[in-house]
Amino acid sequence: MTLQRGPQPYPGQEKRLRLLAFVRQDSVVRVDKRVEDTAMVWPHLLVIEFIVAMLWLVALFVISALFNAPLQDHANPDRTPNPSKAPWYLLQLQELLLHMDKGLAGVIVPSVWIFFLLPIIPYVDRSREGVGTWFTNSTGKKIFLFSAVYTTVLTFALIFIDAAAKSAGYIEWASQNLPGGKVLIPDYVIPITVMTGLSVLLVVLVKKLFGADTRGWVNALFTGFVFAFLVLVFVGTSMRGPGMDLYAPWNLPTTIE
Amino acid sequence: MLEIPAQIWEKVRRNYIWRSLFRHGYPDSRKNQSLAVFTNVFLHLHPVKVRRHALAIPYTWCMGGLSFFLFLVLTLTGTLLMFYYRPTTEWAYSDIKDMETVVVFGQLLRNMHRWAAHGMVITVFLHMVRVFYTGSYKPPREFNWVVGTLLFFLTIMLSYTGYLLPWDQLAFWAVTVGYNIAAATPVIGNEVAFLLFGGFELGPNALLRFYVLHVVGLPLITAFLIAIHFWRIRKDGGISGPL
Repeated sequence: MTLQRGPQPYPGQEKRLRLLAFVRQDSVVRVDKRVEDTAMVWPHLLVIEFIVAMLWLVALFVISALFNAPLQDHANPDRTPNPSKAPWYLLQLQELLLHMDKGLAGVIVPSVWIFFLLPIIPYVDRSREGVGTWFTNSTGKKIFLFSAVYTTVLTFALIFIDAAAKSAGYIEWASQNLPGGKVLIPDYVIPITVMTGLSVLLVVLVKKLFGADTRGWVNALFTGFVFAFLVLVFVGTSMRGPGMDLYAPWNLPTTIE
Repeated sequence: MLEIPAQIWEKVRRNYIWRSLFRHGYPDSRKNQSLAVFTNVFLHLHPVKVRRHALAIPYTWCMGGLSFFLFLVLTLTGTLLMFYYRPTTEWAYSDIKDMETVVVFGQLLRNMHRWAAHGMVITVFLHMVRVFYTGSYKPPREFNWVVGTLLFFLTIMLSYTGYLLPWDQLAFWAVTVGYNIAAATPVIGNEVAFLLFGGFELGPNALLRFYVLHVVGLPLITAFLIAIHFWRIRKDGGISGPL
């Protein structure tokens, strides 16, 4: 008699199975079932996690031993440093403040991005094509590069144009000649038009140039977000001196206390 | 001679107390490796097996894991810092000064907390970038992406609320920028500023509110969302990969 595998019924007792419920696979958990090339978590994944954690802990110790966290004088509401800057990860908002209405730049634009545009990405781009592959395919990579250059160039250009226009007396001109004075058109109409217009233009361009599908143009817009974020943080950190005036990064004066 | 340690090890392993802690042998067989993962409350975040490409650092950049690692480092160093810090305008600054000059390893502790906080903003951002460009938000992972965007927001808020606590010029004026932004919220600007800062200027109330948000409120919400985030990774089929 050959040995059967698995748990066996007691002698004289037939193994009986009862159907308790039929659960469709995708109703509760949606697990991809496919031919799998797997590795055991212990040791293969845990070793990587352990080594990475240790390397970073050592790196953090070294950085902390070498560089002290900044600490200036006691807070003094009567002594405003020029310029006063937010922490670097909020400098993109502070940079936007210089170019449009404060509420628009500091509250509406970031809220729309973080609570609307970013979260809806998976509900707009719903195909599963390209999951697990960097940039989906070579077209995706081209769209990424194009959008990165497009956004970087245009963001810098807009900042310089705004600075040039303001130094040419644009605000005074606007307050006298534009309907709504120096508020309506310069602070609202132009920024909103430029932000949405250039985004739409980017989508149109990647569709025309690369035949972008939904994944393609979502890729373009997300890349635009990332690079606008980075450029604005860079300008805010390294190019804004006293009075929030523009300086070359290698020529940035120190803060006036 | 050499059998003595082996005998001791064998004794320990058969010991009643040891067996109450670990219900499997040394993880050198597939069975024990599986048991090691799923009988351990910390390791059972992981499945027993993962798809091999999920181990590739060029694919994941380890950024999600590192963000969590930094969150743990920040929780630990932050708790230690709390022993030496009082969130009042009278004491906050001098407590930080004492941390740097009087407390043993206080400067190191504060440095670690500071740099880990900056690091976490970077790793979370890079994690989001990685997840986007590998298409890992695609079905069935839509909702986890949403949780992720909230965690990105919370990371920035955690970092920002912590920025005020030293109560030095840097902190005060950086947060003043934020105050002006909050006050510029359309229609309800004053209410928002009052709610967040406890007044119409940056003072003791703002410091206390930021402290409570920084050490209790935001970390709790963040930990809660991290739990959901990790749970959903498992439920959605593990780390994403090619179809």
